[in-house]
Amino acid sequence: MTTIVKSLALAAGLTCAFAANVQAAEKHKVFLSMSYIGNDWQAEAANMVKALAASKDYADKIDLQVQVAGPNAQRQIQQINAMVQAGADAIVVYPISPTALNQVVKNACSKGVKVVAYDAEITEPCAYNVTIDQEEAGRKTAEWLADKLGGKGDVVLVTGVPGTSVDIARTKAAKEVFAKHPDIRIVGEAVGMWSQAVARTELSKLLATRKWDDIDGLWMQVGCYTANAMQLEAGKTDDQLLPCAGEGSNGGRIQALPKGTEVEGANSPYAPLGAPRISYASPPYSGALALKLAVDMIEGKDVPHHTTLPLPLVTNETVQLCETGSWEEMKSGCNTFKPSIVANPGWFGSIFSDQLPQLGLNAALVGQPET
Amino acid sequence: MNQAVVIDKSPHTRAPIGASNWLGGIGRSAARSRATLVAIVVFAFLFLVTDWISPGPITYFDVSFLASGGTTLALAAIGQTLVILSGGFDLSAGAVISLVNAVLAANMSMTDMDASVVEWTAIGIAVGMLVGAFNGIFIAFLRLQPIVVTLSTMFIVQGGTLLILEQPGGFVAPTLGAVYMGDAVPNLLPAPILLLGIVLLLWAWLKRTRYGLALYASGSDPASAAAIGISVPWVRFATYVIAGGLYGLAGVFISAQTGSGDPLVGNSLLLSIFAAVVIGGTRLGGGKGGPVGSVFGAFTLMIVVNILLALNVSAYFSTVAEGGVLLLAVLFASLSRDSVLAEQIRQGLAALRARSVGLLVTQRPKVDRRLAFAARRGVETGTATPVPSFLKRNVETIRYAAPAYVALVLVLIATQFVLGNVLTNFSYWNALLVLSTFLAILALGQGAVILTGGLDLSLPWTIALSGILLAGMVRGSDPALVYALPLVFAVAAGIGLMNGIGVVMLGLSPIVVTLAMNGILQGAALLYSNGTPSGFASPALRWFMTGYLGGVTPVVVFLAAFVIGATVLLGRTSFGRRVYAIGNSLEAARLSGVRTGRVVIAVYVLSALCAALVGILLTGFSGQASLGMGDDYLLPSIAVVVVGGALITGGRGHYLGMFGGALLLTALQTLLAGTTLPYAFRAILFGCVVLAAVIALRERRTS
Repeated sequence: MTTIVKSLALAAGLTCAFAANVQAAEKHKVFLSMSYIGNDWQAEAANMVKALAASKDYADKIDLQVQVAGPNAQRQIQQINAMVQAGADAIVVYPISPTALNQVVKNACSKGVKVVAYDAEITEPCAYNVTIDQEEAGRKTAEWLADKLGGKGDVVLVTGVPGTSVDIARTKAAKEVFAKHPDIRIVGEAVGMWSQAVARTELSKLLATRKWDDIDGLWMQVGCYTANAMQLEAGKTDDQLLPCAGEGSNGGRIQALPKGTEVEGANSPYAPLGAPRISYASPPYSGALALKLAVDMIEGKDVPHHTTLPLPLVTNETVQLCETGSWEEMKSGCNTFKPSIVANPGWFGSIFSDQLPQLGLNAALVGQPET
Repeated sequence: MNQAVVIDKSPHTRAPIGASNWLGGIGRSAARSRATLVAIVVFAFLFLVTDWISPGPITYFDVSFLASGGTTLALAAIGQTLVILSGGFDLSAGAVISLVNAVLAANMSMTDMDASVVEWTAIGIAVGMLVGAFNGIFIAFLRLQPIVVTLSTMFIVQGGTLLILEQPGGFVAPTLGAVYMGDAVPNLLPAPILLLGIVLLLWAWLKRTRYGLALYASGSDPASAAAIGISVPWVRFATYVIAGGLYGLAGVFISAQTGSGDPLVGNSLLLSIFAAVVIGGTRLGGGKGGPVGSVFGAFTLMIVVNILLALNVSAYFSTVAEGGVLLLAVLFASLSRDSVLAEQIRQGLAALRARSVGLLVTQRPKVDRRLAFAARRGVETGTATPVPSFLKRNVETIRYAAPAYVALVLVLIATQFVLGNVLTNFSYWNALLVLSTFLAILALGQGAVILTGGLDLSLPWTIALSGILLAGMVRGSDPALVYALPLVFAVAAGIGLMNGIGVVMLGLSPIVVTLAMNGILQGAALLYSNGTPSGFASPALRWFMTGYLGGVTPVVVFLAAFVIGATVLLGRTSFGRRVYAIGNSLEAARLSGVRTGRVVIAVYVLSALCAALVGILLTGFSGQASLGMGDDYLLPSIAVVVVGGALITGGRGHYLGMFGGALLLTALQTLLAGTTLPYAFRAILFGCVVLAAVIALRERRTS
């Protein structure tokens, strides 16, 4: 009995689904396969992709479906297969593994499906990749720190997720830079997992056996905001904050603003401190740019297999507060947002792309396009 | 237990095994294992649904894709099923898959495009069996608890994998892919299905051997198995080795599927493997179920991906939908006239009928109905028997709790040697205690659940959701804590209540209920925060976790009070005694008048409340809440409980031991964090120390 009811309900749902399919037949079918959505960066990137798909320029062209594979590469393989079967024109993917997807991506390519990966890479040659140069990120930030320290001092490294290509590329490049300065010693290395919360516990463990005074500088993939907060808690003054080379969280950039800057909603430690900082980021707009490239390709434009994004670097000299965070305003150079609008200090601030005028602050925050 | 008795008969009553008996055997076992059949039905139903809702008919091509997609999980689930049938638990499964993938990818040569499939498959299986043998030695012969041995192995293997293959890359010869991903019979039989078929046929043979019978027997009741002459340690050892070989085969398959190596590829499969086994109808704790169901459980999990895609389920709802499918599949499998749910409904109806005619026990007048002599004797014994000495009374507890503290002292001494100036340094102790707080609190909740023989896998997102709710409500204002704290705890209590109801009323395995709950909570956290949690901890909460009160962080004082409270709760209250009673024997507890259902529900509520407290304190510690902030606490929460001397099957353990476990793990992590050792070596060392710490917890030979 229940089976009959179920199948009836299913049939009803089916009819609706088909009706919807017919309507959308003119549009290109684009899928987004995300990995894990349980962190700030992924959520922000997803918001920006959704915003672009909903913008005036794209709403009539594409029909975007967002799916999550979780942290499991097996499921992403299955998911991409299912997307190909479902008649995808293009698949935008945050690859869980740079290598595990190669076979399935190859198969998708052979069926004429465009596969564009963002942030992390897919090594299969037929895939398109949108990333920053991770090696450059590690090198530039380490050079800044070495420069700040005058080529001398004890530094602590906080790395990312062990066993990933991104972590290895960044950390290796940074270590190569430090190795050139014989007076710079790496006195501690913590595994930060690209999370402010983990950076906090790991730094606390490190400092259980060490004092802040024993450290001269920090090189962190994520966690400078937290490190500054911890120094203040330990009784350091704003002027004593250690130079920190790290990620582009909004909290960290607010801290880099000159002390005394009027900022709406600021509340220590999420406040201007004049902290010596360089911030870099793997920008969360890369997913949206991947979508743009996918649509460009569907429309017959030529796209290079590898798009290297300009590395967003912000230092104390270039940090600049936005009023509204519109695309126009960011174009003129602002890169940091008020705590009254962006309440989460771990939120990533590098959201400006000159190629995506559809996306401003609201796109990253709530998935709403500018137009 | 029934199961073992039934199986036990077959070798003696049956003639030598012939082809006809063979088929008859399959028929009989199908009738016996209803859960396996249901798993197949659930999969078939979902397969038809997929066929219906996806555009176009399902072709051979689709089937072939589906088969290759689920095979890695299915192979690993078969291995895990054997371990669970033997009464064990294997957390190293995912790590072994990564290891084999890394070994193959790092050692296959680019120049050898025609690498021998048989040879490399054998290498992969052998690597898996070696790890299995390592597990088996400690579990079978040294009689250590499977969960903690395999957890240690997991860390050691993960570290070793990174030493072999530092980052994704390497090369897997295309011959492997051609064989495993190809067609056994073109347009009729995909190779992965043939592979699974061969493995299941081997199992069908193995099941009929002495080993198969011994496996079910020692899982059902090790003491009886030993009594009828089965060498339980050898059966267990063999099981871990065979399971390791199957994980190895899964690793070979994933290598063939991906054509390259990734040192992290298998790690996240672990929870899926358990879900597959449970959906497949195998009962945790041993003796019931079988690998066939697990294979279909694995494919059920994978086909859900296709259904979510075809129905265009929003990303935020995907974990909720998966949790729902998991629950429904298992609930469906358990529906029958004698299921727990049906029993509960019958009892409820009976209670209602009794109430309406006024016969319910609670409706009877409350007078003391004890027999007169019982009261008299109580008075006499109270004065006559001298109380035994403290040591004598607590020798068992101390024996199980002490190793954690001994290991802690050793780690502290090592810290002093390696990093210097820590033991006399007050700030070290303060930091150690602050960092231990999270695990110490989780240990009470997880510990209580484990004492009743359950497991709470919903901790990660209970922690994260609580933190996110709190930060969102407080938004940096101290007065808001007054209503935010009770609200967060109320939500947590609701989560625990639902876990408890799922376990008690629906009679589902705790692993399924709490795993599904974890997914549902993740969806809830994403929907509530819209992907970006907002708000931050209030100044008072931040001060509580990071400020100073006369030199110590305030939370350390709280921790001291918590430890005393938890020790009293588990050791001195009637609630605590009921928890132990249930863990030792649910039935005996029930017959002694313990309202077992209520106690078990209360235990899950306690666990959720502890997780919420950790979420709140973590938010204070970090200053804000983030998605995924609880992810790193699940396995450690189980580890501290077991390292602290608790028995994973319930009934044994003391809170002070678990607290020692929390201190030990934190001190060890602190020591490793202070060094500049590469992560791989840290993981290996961590695993080795945990293993060493529990060697002292060996079970005494029971005879």
